[in-house]
Amino acid sequence: MSEELARDPSSRIFLPLGEELRRRGDHELALRVALRGLERHPHDADAHDLLGRIAAATGQLERAMDEWSMALSIAPAHTGALKGLGFVSCQMGRLDDAERWLASAVEAGGDAGVAAALDAVRAELAPTAPEAPVLPDALGAARRLFDGLVSAEGGEGALVVDRDGFAVAGRHVVAGVDVGEFLAAHLTGVSDEAARAVRHLGLGGWTTIVVETSTATVALAPTSEDAVVVVAAPVGSPGGYVRRLLARARIRAAGWLGAEAA
Amino acid sequence: MTTARRSPFTGVLAALARQRGVLGSIVVGELDGIVVDSQLQMGVEGDTVAALTASLFRKARLAAADAGLGEAVFLQLEAESGRVCAVGRNELVILAIAEARANVGLLRVELLRGLEALA
Repeated sequence: MSEELARDPSSRIFLPLGEELRRRGDHELALRVALRGLERHPHDADAHDLLGRIAAATGQLERAMDEWSMALSIAPAHTGALKGLGFVSCQMGRLDDAERWLASAVEAGGDAGVAAALDAVRAELAPTAPEAPVLPDALGAARRLFDGLVSAEGGEGALVVDRDGFAVAGRHVVAGVDVGEFLAAHLTGVSDEAARAVRHLGLGGWTTIVVETSTATVALAPTSEDAVVVVAAPVGSPGGYVRRLLARARIRAAGWLGAEAA
Repeated sequence: MTTARRSPFTGVLAALARQRGVLGSIVVGELDGIVVDSQLQMGVEGDTVAALTASLFRKARLAAADAGLGEAVFLQLEAESGRVCAVGRNELVILAIAEARANVGLLRVELLRGLEALA
């Protein structure tokens, strides 16, 4: 090719010669060949495209873009220039521009490599799914309602039990197991039965139920919505202490039930 | 005070009735809520209270057992102007109805002592 170019300097053989030199990494010689050819063919889009590729290979990205822009001004659908602008835009982090140039290159008949590059750029540009909102840990918060009030390490626990015998808040751990559900399950209707019993006796409303077992003292008190608050403490706990624990748990339960109802 | 004919529980009920502020004492079946024996002051409605208290004691016993809290021994239902205290064993419940002025501690001791009659 060099010989042909020497014989005919106006030959367009400079284009494949310059490209071959560029591929071989002989960028300086490639540039000389390309510039001489551009002198003879200043309005040759392929010549500007060659210069653009040589400039890009030597890290002169802005110059490369200038040459490709010039090529496009001469031939608006020049595939090489469109592809070149797309790849350099990628290198420069201008993904929106890269997407536009590469899409045009594909439309102008770009090869599979261009299409793949376009897909990659579009994947980068795709909006990421918004992070799922972190839901408040309502269940955990309900279980921890009485934390800080009762001493789990001390064998104490507290629950809010609804009218149907479900533990809706709090916990009572015995031997590593939360037995709140078991405790609550048998308390269905307790508030109603207690209220009816004392009403028959003319003793007013019921205020507390205290149950002593072989291992614990359990105390219950009514709260809103026909629920009861239950506290448990190890056997031998002073009665006054258990009642105070119950009173404080009742206040906390009332606040929680009020917040839940809001 | 109405007094039932003598039964295995007469002595227990009488001891409870003698406590200050006690309005009556009853032995009731835990499962069916039917009064077995009683000593009640006039005007005290025992049947309904006995059934309801037996139910409460049964629930407390089952809850404690299922939750690994041992055997229910003593139950106290407190109201604005009085209380009902109960102990139970072998599907029988002894309960005492008391005014607010009653000495709960002594009442409790007497009830636990009465458990022996249920053995």
